[in-house]
Amino acid sequence: MTAIKYSALAIAALATATTANTAQAWSLEEAAKPYEGTTITVVGLERPSYDAAQRLTSQFEKKTGINVEWTTFPYESSLKAQTLNFVSRSQQFDLILTDVVWPVTFVESGWVQPLSHFTNDEELVNPDLDLDDFVDIWRAAFSVDGELYGLPFDSYSGLLYYNKKMLKEAGFDGPPETWAELKDVYGPKLTDRDAGQYAFALQSAKGETQTADSFTRMLWPFGARYFDADAEEMTLTSDAAKRGIQYREDLAQYMPDGIVADNHSQVVQAMGQGRVAMITEWSAFYTTLKDSKIGDDLGIAVEPKGPDGRYSAFGGFAYMVSAQVPEARQDAGWLFAQWLTSKRMARPLIREGAVVARESANSDPEIQEEFPYLEPMLETWKTSSVPDWRPQLRCYPKFSELVSDWGTRIQLGDVSVDEGLQGMDKRLQRYMDQTDCWDTVNQPRKYMDAM
Amino acid sequence: MANEKLLKLLHGLAVVLILGIILFPPYWMVAASLKTESQLFAIPPHWLWDTTLQGYIDAFQQSPILSALWNSVWVTGAAVGLGLLVGAPAAYGISRYNFPGRKQIWFWYVTHWMLVPVVILIPFYLLAVNLGMINNPWILVLVYQVFVVPLVVWLMVDQFRSVPPVLEEAALLDGLSRFGVFVRISLPLVKPGIVVAGILAGIFAWNNLIYAFILTPAQGARTAPTIALSYLGGYKVPWTQVMASATLISAPVILGGIAVHKYMARGLTMGAVK
Amino acid sequence: MATSLDASEAKVAEHKRPDRPTAMEHATPWLFVLPSVLLLLAVGLYPIGYTFVISFHNWTLGQAEPSFTALSNYVEVLTDGAFLDAVSRTMLLLAITLPIQLALGLGIALLLHTHFNKWLRTILQVVLVIPIAITPAVLGLLVQVMFDNQFGIINHALASIGIQGVNWLGDTTAAYTTVCIAQIWQWTPFAALVISASLATVPSEIEEAALLETSRWWPRFRRVLLPYLWPGITAVLVFQTAFVIKQFGMVYSIQKGGPGSATQLVMLEIERTAFRGFDIGAAAAQSILMLVLSILLAQTYIKLFYREAA
Repeated sequence: MTAIKYSALAIAALATATTANTAQAWSLEEAAKPYEGTTITVVGLERPSYDAAQRLTSQFEKKTGINVEWTTFPYESSLKAQTLNFVSRSQQFDLILTDVVWPVTFVESGWVQPLSHFTNDEELVNPDLDLDDFVDIWRAAFSVDGELYGLPFDSYSGLLYYNKKMLKEAGFDGPPETWAELKDVYGPKLTDRDAGQYAFALQSAKGETQTADSFTRMLWPFGARYFDADAEEMTLTSDAAKRGIQYREDLAQYMPDGIVADNHSQVVQAMGQGRVAMITEWSAFYTTLKDSKIGDDLGIAVEPKGPDGRYSAFGGFAYMVSAQVPEARQDAGWLFAQWLTSKRMARPLIREGAVVARESANSDPEIQEEFPYLEPMLETWKTSSVPDWRPQLRCYPKFSELVSDWGTRIQLGDVSVDEGLQGMDKRLQRYMDQTDCWDTVNQPRKYMDAM
Repeated sequence: MANEKLLKLLHGLAVVLILGIILFPPYWMVAASLKTESQLFAIPPHWLWDTTLQGYIDAFQQSPILSALWNSVWVTGAAVGLGLLVGAPAAYGISRYNFPGRKQIWFWYVTHWMLVPVVILIPFYLLAVNLGMINNPWILVLVYQVFVVPLVVWLMVDQFRSVPPVLEEAALLDGLSRFGVFVRISLPLVKPGIVVAGILAGIFAWNNLIYAFILTPAQGARTAPTIALSYLGGYKVPWTQVMASATLISAPVILGGIAVHKYMARGLTMGAVK
Repeated sequence: MATSLDASEAKVAEHKRPDRPTAMEHATPWLFVLPSVLLLLAVGLYPIGYTFVISFHNWTLGQAEPSFTALSNYVEVLTDGAFLDAVSRTMLLLAITLPIQLALGLGIALLLHTHFNKWLRTILQVVLVIPIAITPAVLGLLVQVMFDNQFGIINHALASIGIQGVNWLGDTTAAYTTVCIAQIWQWTPFAALVISASLATVPSEIEEAALLETSRWWPRFRRVLLPYLWPGITAVLVFQTAFVIKQFGMVYSIQKGGPGSATQLVMLEIERTAFRGFDIGAAAAQSILMLVLSILLAQTYIKLFYREAA
């Protein structure tokens, strides 16, 4: 593995050297000449990474003469807006933004171009592109059938945030290593219901938060999986799944009431006010927590281990080029995405508040010192998660809704863990069979081995 | 007489209680918009605090609220204008003439008011796409007619009915055409109805969320209420900014409503057509 | 026909009777009505027809082209449970809020009708407009803040009078109650204003005459005032029903129908089917079913109550 990797790097280096020697040096200004005056529309979210990107966009516009128009959406409506755009062939967006769970949908419908469409064109590709510098898990996550489709941007991992002071007062020097430890050792000592103090809070609001942040988080570390794609069978009635979800129920005694209605903002708020000692949240919340009342006591670690190992939450986005817009706009869009996700832009972006998937920038000690969440995040990507932590399949939106429905019912106590998992398993099995969704399951873990 | 005094007192108390219940939430919203985040969530709540306009500054700087407010202003204005233009004559026709199908037509208008928006939303989306009108707020002006017209007709039928026919008869005998009578005699007499229909239709058009949510999602094309939704990404909720935006979104219609309150009593009679 | 006309129209008809109406006269009412009819045909009936056709097709946006499937969308929608649950949740909201809104609305209208204190009366009249005008999506956000389990003013107020805080947003029943409260708060003033406008149409001579006849309040109200109120009450019924059936923004912005599906009203369910699951066929079937239901409701109200008014 390592050997293959090294040789690949060597070849890449060699190739770069040759290009540099023979052809005249590539420059963005030169490459963008044919597209001067072109206007491209880029999809963004109402999140810090896109604010950062928008602040830096004028640099690109100045260099290239390409006009970049940002259209930002709340996460909730971004899939809807983009799907409607494609279905109606309305060419509203040139660069589209995909969550880790959407690539199959976009790719199999033929809505987006594979990156090779551009990387094979010498005039369009920056010799310094260095795709291998995107952490493996990210390239895998945005590959379908072995072909890469997206340039990762706004990339997160789940992290364990803890309140050093609260832990210390309860007699702990560091954060828990395992989920079991978190519940059995840290839980009782850090919870004082009468004082409104809790050891932990798990955001579980209806929708993607329930599905990903709450339910899925307790599947993987306990050895459970959603399904066996090859056998076309849901596997949510496994003992491992029961163990994981039962664990979530047991943990509730150390969490505030009403967690089932809490979204990211509420648990982050609770932690920031010093009422909750630990949360597992996306890396992107670092700034909010750092700026809160407990900022100086904020500790960050990799998420705890389960009986089956460490599987932290994995999520983030990538830019893909729409296949529905005219060639010139595609090329211009590619140039912008390439520029935005380049190694050179990574550091300025991080400093403006963005998170990126570039290994070179994230592992830079100088930057790591400034942003202490980078190290555990990078470690998570490299050793503690999988690219399809949330399953990749074409019918994910409805799949996720069904998981959220049943997951909440279990948490509300409407059904027991057993009943709930059985109900969810049965409903999802029927849905997957009916819609032939099994054929669309993408298993990017397979590509990881080849990387 | 003591009895009457007691009644008066009870009456006053009841009114004050109702005023309190109605006014507290909007007060709390405006207050929250003027606090800092930690004051906003302080327990016990702060009744006195150092006012800060930071929420408003953030709202203007970090969200497209200004353009959204402007879009809402002209979309609402145009939608209400168009609705009154076609709705008022319709109400006049229904109230003044007895023609076959009149009752059915009135009922047909009313059912539009009950329409579940999604029933027309999907076709409208496809239509807007074919006409290249996605993210063009004019499409909202059109689609809002589905509730503006029925509201205008419903409110104004009753208004026209309360105009004594003798006035119109006299004008007709003086040689005015039917249309002339409508414009010169009847319309001026139903001013409260026009004002109330206009402001109510305006409130519903302004506050509408679902159509704008789907038809004009792009940043520059959004209307004000969709700005409220943009804070629901579940990611990070800057509450003071949210409450400042909320105040800005609601203020124009609240002020509009208050401005015309004195017409409400005369303009809000909604009768039946039999 | 003449029997169904009200007094003012009867006069018009009487006056007109001697002249035979000309063709132009026949056409005039239609000239007044036509523009609005054309507009509504375009923005109302045509899309409804389109949706009706789609409802017989299997069409998942972006995954396959529409194909005819006869009634299978209807079967799916009616057997899946989620839709019917959302419908019954919506109807329950209607059943809870409607009587309360009517009763409170009537009460407030009578307060307004009583001329004890002109100053207070004017203030009340002004203030009643505020809830109606507040953007429902904004109200939802406000509910989130005020009913927050930990930081909300409501729980704080309850605590200060010794009542244990309620888990407003996290408990299914409490969350549903929250929606009821917000719905009542927002639309009761509307009922009050409409009923109050109807009360204003009662000729004061009639009211004074009744006062001489009997000093007891109830018979006076029932025999003298109520007949004038029926049209207004019917209008309130139709309006409130529409507000509940069409409710989206407020509930969506509280917690998108959660926790679980505790506050998943019918509009949220249809929006979810159409624009989250992208199952356009099923969403069309759901919309058509709701259309039928709302027409039936409107017709029932109008038959039931306008007859009373006659």
